[in-house]
Amino acid sequence: MARMAANRLVRLVGREALGGDYHLLTFHHPEAAREARAGQFVMIKAGTSAEPPLRRPFSILSADPERESVSLFVKAVGEGTRALCAMGEGERAQCLGPLGRPFSLPPEGTEALMVAGGYGIAPFRLFAEELRRARRRGRVFYGGRTAADLQLRDRFEPLDVPLVPATEDGSLGERGRVTVPLEAYLDGRPGPVRLHACGPDAMLHAVARLAEARGLPAELSLDPWMGCGIGTCLGCVVLIRRPGDPRPKYRCACTEGPVFDAATVVWPEGA
Amino acid sequence: MRPAGGVSLNLAVEVAGLRFKNPLVAASGTFGYGVEYEGLLDLSRLGGIVSKGLYMEPRDGCATPRIVETPSGLLNAIGLQGVGVRAFVRDVLPRLRRYDTVVLVNVCGDTVEEYAEVTRVLDGAPGVHGLEINISCPNVKKGGMAFGGDPVMTHEVVKAVRKVTRLPVIPKLSPNVGDITVFARAAEEAGADALSCINTLLGLAVDVETRKPRLAFGTGGLSGPAIRPVAVRMAWQAARAVRIPVIGIGGIASARDALEFLIAGCRAVQVGTANFVDPGLYDRLLDELEDYLGRHGLTDVNQVVGTLQYPDLG
Repeated sequence: MARMAANRLVRLVGREALGGDYHLLTFHHPEAAREARAGQFVMIKAGTSAEPPLRRPFSILSADPERESVSLFVKAVGEGTRALCAMGEGERAQCLGPLGRPFSLPPEGTEALMVAGGYGIAPFRLFAEELRRARRRGRVFYGGRTAADLQLRDRFEPLDVPLVPATEDGSLGERGRVTVPLEAYLDGRPGPVRLHACGPDAMLHAVARLAEARGLPAELSLDPWMGCGIGTCLGCVVLIRRPGDPRPKYRCACTEGPVFDAATVVWPEGA
Repeated sequence: MRPAGGVSLNLAVEVAGLRFKNPLVAASGTFGYGVEYEGLLDLSRLGGIVSKGLYMEPRDGCATPRIVETPSGLLNAIGLQGVGVRAFVRDVLPRLRRYDTVVLVNVCGDTVEEYAEVTRVLDGAPGVHGLEINISCPNVKKGGMAFGGDPVMTHEVVKAVRKVTRLPVIPKLSPNVGDITVFARAAEEAGADALSCINTLLGLAVDVETRKPRLAFGTGGLSGPAIRPVAVRMAWQAARAVRIPVIGIGGIASARDALEFLIAGCRAVQVGTANFVDPGLYDRLLDELEDYLGRHGLTDVNQVVGTLQYPDLG
């Protein structure tokens, strides 16, 4: 964590139903709006009700320092996310952030290839902005089951970032996994690239294997179950083996991640 | 003493010869080593903190998944991942000494000897005010609950620790026993200065799709509001069974929850799982506690301790 997170009640200042179970929620959170970097997250929970007990982690989709607000991309899948998506404007949530280690900018002349699966698109809106500010080239490979899962594509248009969709049912872009167009792009010998991935574990593992096979640097944003967000519950640990480590070590995804160097991630057998 | 509406309210309590500025203590395993909360809250606002459990050596802990949410609760099998007692003394204690709060260290061991060995390292380490003896962790194969589930072993561990330190010794008792008063008395007889009641309740959550436990370790320890009535009952039983003070633990997320334990006879309380939910909850709890005292015309939090009007059923 570069700077200290702020723990506060935050007001919902904007909401947008994106179709399906997807929502875009905007909260007034001055610290996060000012300091958030791509890949960082907040721990948030609607209201102060006892159920469900824990806050939930969400990548920061975008930050507006002028309006002092941050937007989160939320898919209503369980009790906690449904309660968030049911919030009305003006209502408040408990929120801690920004938290975690962000994606890092690639060196000059290196193109950032962002690989997103489903709601794993969330950190890349902010990353695309950071890339543009730093005058780095970027490209998004965005995969999902069907076109309806590829939300927020239009938000990348103003940033002049090419976005390559892929769907398993072929309803948008190439048919198949997101690694299909990614491999095709890499086969075209694009020059120096670095991979930055966020999505389901299976996709992250595939990207890690691909990066290893091709000798490419890659960063993965891991998404294990998280309890506290600040490294005390030790629930979100992942096995990491850094150069020089005699053996893998459990490290908190919340404080030492969620973004890790792909080459250091030790995958469970069978994953 | 803090002024509130012109009346001075005393929130300070004394447990095991230690003065806590208020009865709210952060529970072991839910507050890291304390320093993780620097910047998020003022540690000096807390009555005390209890460190994550420490062995002689660093520990990896359990495989993942380690935590799962359950109704009003959290089931965990972390397995006492930790940095080891020497690293704690070297790296953490100097930072904690900046704060005006009671620092209790949670002592673990695979064997009776290890409990004593860890205690020797902590005895005399500047900044340690007392020891909580962890004989009740359900998520380790050796030690832990094996000691807390047998009154003879409870006695033996507490005696071994007692012998090598003059620091206050506070065994943390397991709820996974038939009669907690037997264990409370065994600990008292072995020289304990106070008791922490209770640790987590042994639980099992099943993934019905895979038909496997939802935790990699299998069973886990249940915490959070789900266990509060069980915890209050057991702390109450323990408090009536011994002369030494009892620190109540289990599902506290508001001052009302804390007051249940105090009224049931506890001199202080520990806040656990709620630290994960809202690391800033202490300010709210202290305000609520003062409100309560004010509403009841009380000036001292000690006035509520042990005031439970339990029905006389003959």
